[in-house]
Amino acid sequence: MGNRSTFGSVYFAIFGFMVLALGIVELVVVSTGGMEGASWGPLEMGGMLLWWRAIILVFAGLIYLSSVNNFLDVRQLGKSVIASIMIWIVAGMEIWARIAGSIPGGPEEGTPWFNPEFLATYGPPYMPEIYLLPLSLVILYFVGRRKKQGRLS
Amino acid sequence: MWEIAVELTIDQRWDLVDRIAKETIEVGAYEPTLRDTLADVTVKPLTGIPFAIAVIYGFWMFFSGFAGFFTDGFFVKIFDVHFLPWIQSVFPGKGTWLYFIFVGDPSAETCFESFGVLTSGLFLPIGVVLPAIVAFYLVFAFLEDVGYLPRLAVLVDGVLHKIGLHGYAIIPTILSLGCNVPGVTACRPLESRKQRFMMITLLGVFIPCAAQIGMMEGLIPHLIGWVFLTLAIGYFAVGFILNKVWPGESPEILMDVPPYQKPTWRNIGRKMGTRTSHFLMEAVPFFLLGCLIVAVMYLTGAMDWLGNALAPALTGVFGVPEETVAPLVAGFLRKDLAIGLLGGIELTTWQMFTSVVLLCIYFPCLATFALMLKEEKWKEFLATMLVLVVTVFVFGGLLNLIGIGLGIA
Repeated sequence: MGNRSTFGSVYFAIFGFMVLALGIVELVVVSTGGMEGASWGPLEMGGMLLWWRAIILVFAGLIYLSSVNNFLDVRQLGKSVIASIMIWIVAGMEIWARIAGSIPGGPEEGTPWFNPEFLATYGPPYMPEIYLLPLSLVILYFVGRRKKQGRLS
Repeated sequence: MWEIAVELTIDQRWDLVDRIAKETIEVGAYEPTLRDTLADVTVKPLTGIPFAIAVIYGFWMFFSGFAGFFTDGFFVKIFDVHFLPWIQSVFPGKGTWLYFIFVGDPSAETCFESFGVLTSGLFLPIGVVLPAIVAFYLVFAFLEDVGYLPRLAVLVDGVLHKIGLHGYAIIPTILSLGCNVPGVTACRPLESRKQRFMMITLLGVFIPCAAQIGMMEGLIPHLIGWVFLTLAIGYFAVGFILNKVWPGESPEILMDVPPYQKPTWRNIGRKMGTRTSHFLMEAVPFFLLGCLIVAVMYLTGAMDWLGNALAPALTGVFGVPEETVAPLVAGFLRKDLAIGLLGGIELTTWQMFTSVVLLCIYFPCLATFALMLKEEKWKEFLATMLVLVVTVFVFGGLLNLIGIGLGIA
């Protein structure tokens, strides 16, 4: 097996463009709408650190795109792994923020200790990073594939 | 050979080490592993800086989510809705000085406003600081265990060289974001007195601890980014000036960069537990003492006197009301307590921002102050204090001028 994988290159080229595009849209949203952000159906962009998330997505997209040549070369694969970890961090923290915000019932007197409708808070709309998370997990397949062939430790 | 080495400067010694290594070590061809590649990619600026931004974002989001979950989700309710009304009703002698000292203002509706030893004095360290400290040390220990911190040091080496420091300086800086005390202690490996002095001064003046950050998160979550930006500007500006004016050399240091490894949860738990308990044992008595002193000063009228005496500086130079004198006094003991006490004072957004920045830089907490005395020579210590005073007036004055210029002061 060489260092080329057409599927890997094409997949991460498309995915990289997607990540980059969403990052740019977030940058546009944060520069025009500020913290309030915007929402389109099941997709929303907003929150205090939107500009930070936007920058991370833009960089992750660029790193993915720079890794598509000779995709299975360990140096190139390493770049894709780093870009995927960046998405996992952002998406993971989004999920963490939802969990942490959904459980308490509220600080006011008379409210219950735990939110009885906490499951409802997990519904859409979601940030773009949440949608990108499962798509980024494909990198694990390539890492596993090389590991199986004894080319990585 | 030994005699030659003694006569060499530190930089010449490293050059010698380099030459010996080149002549004696031979690296053959080998296929790097994914772990090697990740180690490499995370120190190269083009990929390493974006990754560092993501890591810092994750650090912050975990920190604020964790602290918010416990503080806003549960502790505020426990203390404000249940504990405060209960202690206000059962503590004997309402209206007496004893009641005022221990329970605080009898009409207070939150523990932020009450200023009592048993109300603010317990709520602030347990309800606000504890979750922040646990969250900080949990993530810090994780990054330490994985092996990311030395890579961050390599990454920022170039930037910190501009102010006469090295990448290693990021370790005391990050440690100080947890607590200034271990941060100052971590300056010991720095090679020259100049570097140690600069680092201790910058930590003592510009780096807020996790407890302070937790307070800010509760008090001014929308302004916290601006506070950090202001402090970062100060860190680099003052560092740059100190590097130019303070005599001495800034030699290179050699740092071990271990390979990435899987974190050991037991290690992380132990480190977090030890550091958190150490922090609490040191902080809680100061919190109680701080509340006691503030309450006594209110009762005796000393606070009003001090407020009147400092009013020209506070209102004239910094543009904040004289009521901020109480947090300033408490800040000598604990700066996080001081920021917490700002919550009980009526301030405009700009005044709150200015007050928080001033409280961050105006004086290190008592524990850090004592450690500075131990770690620095007298000349250096006095210079640190001078830097502190000048910085407070320059920053406070500038912020006031900016506020006036923007029409928001």
